[in-house]
Amino acid sequence: MGPVSTTLLELREVGKTFGDTVALAPTSLAVEEGSFVAIVGPSGCGKSTMFNVVAGLLEPDGGEVVLRGATITATTGHVGYMLQKDLLVPWRTVEDNITMATRLTRRVTDEDRAEARRVARQYGLGEFLRHYPSALSGGMRQRVAFMRTLVTHQELLLLDEPFGALDAQTRLEMQEWLLRVWKDTGRTVLFITHDVDESIFLSDRIVVMSPRPGRVVADLVNPLSRPRGIHTLLEPDFIALKAKVLGLLHGGDA
Amino acid sequence: MRRRVLLNVGVPILSLLLVLGVWQLIVVGFHVASYIAPRPREAITSVTSQWSTLWPLILGTIRETIYGYLIGAVLGFALGVVMAKIPVIQRLVYPVILVSQAVPVIALAPVLVIILGFGIVPKIVIVTWIVFFPVTVNVLDGLGHVDPDLKNLARVYGASRWRTFVQIEVPASTTPLFSGLKIGAIYAVTGAIIGELAASEGNSLALYQEHANSNLNTAAVYGTTMVMTLIGIAWFLLVVGLEVWSTPWQRRSVARRRWRRGVEGPAG
Repeated sequence: MGPVSTTLLELREVGKTFGDTVALAPTSLAVEEGSFVAIVGPSGCGKSTMFNVVAGLLEPDGGEVVLRGATITATTGHVGYMLQKDLLVPWRTVEDNITMATRLTRRVTDEDRAEARRVARQYGLGEFLRHYPSALSGGMRQRVAFMRTLVTHQELLLLDEPFGALDAQTRLEMQEWLLRVWKDTGRTVLFITHDVDESIFLSDRIVVMSPRPGRVVADLVNPLSRPRGIHTLLEPDFIALKAKVLGLLHGGDA
Repeated sequence: MRRRVLLNVGVPILSLLLVLGVWQLIVVGFHVASYIAPRPREAITSVTSQWSTLWPLILGTIRETIYGYLIGAVLGFALGVVMAKIPVIQRLVYPVILVSQAVPVIALAPVLVIILGFGIVPKIVIVTWIVFFPVTVNVLDGLGHVDPDLKNLARVYGASRWRTFVQIEVPASTTPLFSGLKIGAIYAVTGAIIGELAASEGNSLALYQEHANSNLNTAAVYGTTMVMTLIGIAWFLLVVGLEVWSTPWQRRSVARRRWRRGVEGPAG
């Protein structure tokens, strides 16, 4: 077996209610350092609420969010965060969008810019550093958004359906691209999706959630080996896991 | 590129020439007496022949316009920001600025002259009065419509309110801001002329026109009007130029080369 893993993120009985609606029932979850955890569930299952609590945007009704042993409940500035909307600012070039997070907290240095250029070139955006986002395709915009998340140097990256708006072809490309970057950088990823294939293709672990009230119904280990590619989608293990997750999501009819 | 310049510059000039052409046609075609409406050429000559008298007056009007405009733009922006950020102030101030605009400025001008005298000050105040409003309303609107997800993202990154404002909210509001500035620009000269008229004393473009009118010098009346219009258009175009220059991302796909200290290796 590999080295003893350490827990990076821990949710302890974190819950959130909006009015009469239980968006997220008290939930506990531990995420190991360097792992890729997918959270899959239909809309209204509380996955985005969970993300916003971890990001510090929402204060939970109770419970604690612990990052590397320190409580970060309802405080921001501790995680990287990326949504389906790329949220690139149109008035900045690709390079300046990548350094945007830094610009929001302190003065951007030449080192910051050099780093932005380096990661952009390394992951296929080198020719577009001086382009404005309006000139880029949806897939490229999401790459820039991810680069921006990456250079925040946060250990934990929260990705909320980042490829949800892309066409199937681009999405598969982006998934392979993301796995490559993840392997190179060794970050910990918490990845929300409602796409079961995507959750299996990417993750080490799949947390299945269900709505009314939003809660975790299963926490599955993903046995598929890495590196993964298109062939992975056809493996019996993939199909078996997919059947299981679909069964959990749709009750008995899968 | 050349085609675009032709389209953006050539066509507007053509449309203005067309207006002059129609003017000429009407005056000649209907045998309009020159004391009612001169031909365009006569109006223009009335300006060029009196250029040495008119130029200082034009400068005076430009000065009033610029001062009033700048103060109005800054004040309008500041007011928009404060109102957007502090809802109580917004509720408190909005009715007041609405009333300020409902007051016919032409009725207000003599009052301002009584209070502030015959100098440049009442003219500046009137221009400011007219200019700040569209700026405030548009800034308020712009700041109110910044994508909340973008502001949340800034929060997740740990951004301060100030940096979020400077780096996200202001640039995200440039389009409405410039709408306000452009509307203000086109009305600014009107404000200056109203102020000049109300003063009824001293040397000004408006009084020069009034004088020409009482002398039945219709060509000069038309000529002066053209000059006033041109000042307004020039000012508007200047603001449009500023917008084009400061928002390159709206027209370009690749950023201009820019001056930056330190390393700036070639891209790619």
